[in-house]
Amino acid sequence: MKKIIVDNLKYRYPSAQELALKGISLEIEKGQFIGVIGPNGAGKSTLCQALVGLVPHFYHGAYGGSVVVGGLEVLKSEISALALKVGLVFQNPFTQVTGAKLTVYDEVAFGLENMGLDRAEMIERIDRALTLLDIYRYKDRNPFDLSGGQMQRLAIASIIAMKPQIIVLDEPTSQLDPQGSEEVFRAVDKLKSEGMTLVMVEHKIEKIAEYADKVALLSGGELVDFDRPIRVFSRPDLERFGVAAPVYTRICRDLKIKDEKTGLYPITLEGAVAAVGSLE
Amino acid sequence: METLSLYVDRDSPVHRVDPISKLLYILAATAIPIILPSLLTAAVVLAISVALLLLGRTFRRVIPLISVIVFVLLTILIIQGLFRAGNVTPLFQLGSLIFYREGLLYAVRISLRVINIMLAFAILILTTKPSDLFETLVRKGLSPRIGYVLSSVLQIIPQMQNTVGTITDAQRSRGMETEGSLAVRLRAFIPLIGPVVMSSLTQTRERSIALEVRGFSAKGKKSFLNEEIQEPYHRFIRWGLLLSIILALVWRVAA
Ligand SMILES: Nc1ncnc2c1ncn2[C@@H]1O[C@H](COP(=O)(O)OP(=O)(O)O)[C@@H](O)[C@H]1O
Ligand SMILES: [Mg+2]
Repeated sequence: MKKIIVDNLKYRYPSAQELALKGISLEIEKGQFIGVIGPNGAGKSTLCQALVGLVPHFYHGAYGGSVVVGGLEVLKSEISALALKVGLVFQNPFTQVTGAKLTVYDEVAFGLENMGLDRAEMIERIDRALTLLDIYRYKDRNPFDLSGGQMQRLAIASIIAMKPQIIVLDEPTSQLDPQGSEEVFRAVDKLKSEGMTLVMVEHKIEKIAEYADKVALLSGGELVDFDRPIRVFSRPDLERFGVAAPVYTRICRDLKIKDEKTGLYPITLEGAVAAVGSLE
Repeated sequence: METLSLYVDRDSPVHRVDPISKLLYILAATAIPIILPSLLTAAVVLAISVALLLLGRTFRRVIPLISVIVFVLLTILIIQGLFRAGNVTPLFQLGSLIFYREGLLYAVRISLRVINIMLAFAILILTTKPSDLFETLVRKGLSPRIGYVLSSVLQIIPQMQNTVGTITDAQRSRGMETEGSLAVRLRAFIPLIGPVVMSSLTQTRERSIALEVRGFSAKGKKSFLNEEIQEPYHRFIRWGLLLSIILALVWRVAA
């Protein structure tokens, strides 16, 4: 089942001369994990915001083509309606805290209150989300007193509690220290094993190699490639797009160790071990 | 975590009274001494407010407030006692200065009124969690946007102060003088404005995005995680306060 259909999406910010997205088309199936990579300014964040309707409803600007998410046509739907289908988590954990709530527990409730859920339903969802993100024990803390990694997990929990079918993560670890990043990746692991449809922009390419079913490579507002990670990462011109292949791919390429079956360079540690094993 | 709030976290009967009742108390404590302008009324209201503050174990917090007010009011007292037009009945004399009864009475009445209003507000502010107050107001029909701004400002301003602190530290670590004479501080402050304003603008935009994706603009009816605490006696207090205002009006008209 298709969860996201982007068809020839073109978009220009109101203050900009150039298109930030120049005719993107892609389809994402239920339960898939899509990694989004590309250099700075490629349009990754813009694409993310187009999936949740911030583009065009929040930013305005010039919009062409169409995006359908969870059955809703973005252009014709309000952000609050889209929020029930697709959630967004972005870089800065601090600005994702509403500031209106005094505890972690109440912070998660914010979105649910806006949905008008009844109390029992809210409590059930909040408990579940906090447990899933492993921050239940901080439920009575002030959100601003959490560490970066905890705060970012709170942001994810707040989105999860709204039960969207899809979660978009735009560089969720880029402002975190290594420990915080690890915490967030562990959370992403969990979401993936829950079978959520996920779209994640991430510079730590090894993580994309580990999780992604497909990788979208963006550059200059265009979709350069949209394929299985092993295919995208073995592009000889990858570095031209400001993306370094995963470390295992680079090592295997230097050593000319290819996967026997595919004839491509492995992208994960497991893949590399298997490829080396098949040499003997 | 610091918030901009004067709330004193105690467990007291006054704390347990709902915010609407406390708002009504402000109304009553303001209106009744105006409707019935005798000194006795004002004194009774004052006594009740002080009693409530003591009961709420927050009286100590208003002492600084009271001392400022008393200072201001003493000035009014002196000026009115000496110079109010219509002063005819001399009351006492200090050196060559004659204090008049009319002016002094007028000043006392005004002073009591101001103190009463301040203390009534103090009861609300010191014994009510701001978040409870705002949530109650939103329940009663205040726009959720205004409710959000009110409650988030209390937390976000201290956060912005932290940002200023961080930027100052960064500048200091690069060798910039940030302490000393006013001129030095001013010189240190000006290059701060740019980064602080910029980061506040970005933060504000990002935060409004975060609110959007959490459905803040949804048109449907919002609900509340916290149950509205409705004790039967809250109703009693509210009606009692309204009734006392009405009674004061009736008294005034009848007398
Ligand atoms: N709010 C904005 N207003 C105007 N232009 C923007 C805005 N946000 C991003 N852009 C521009 O759109 C292009 C794509 O940006 P973005 O989607 O943020 O890229 P990425 O996330 O891949 O780094 C860039 O040229 C950027 O300068
Ligand atoms: Mg980006």
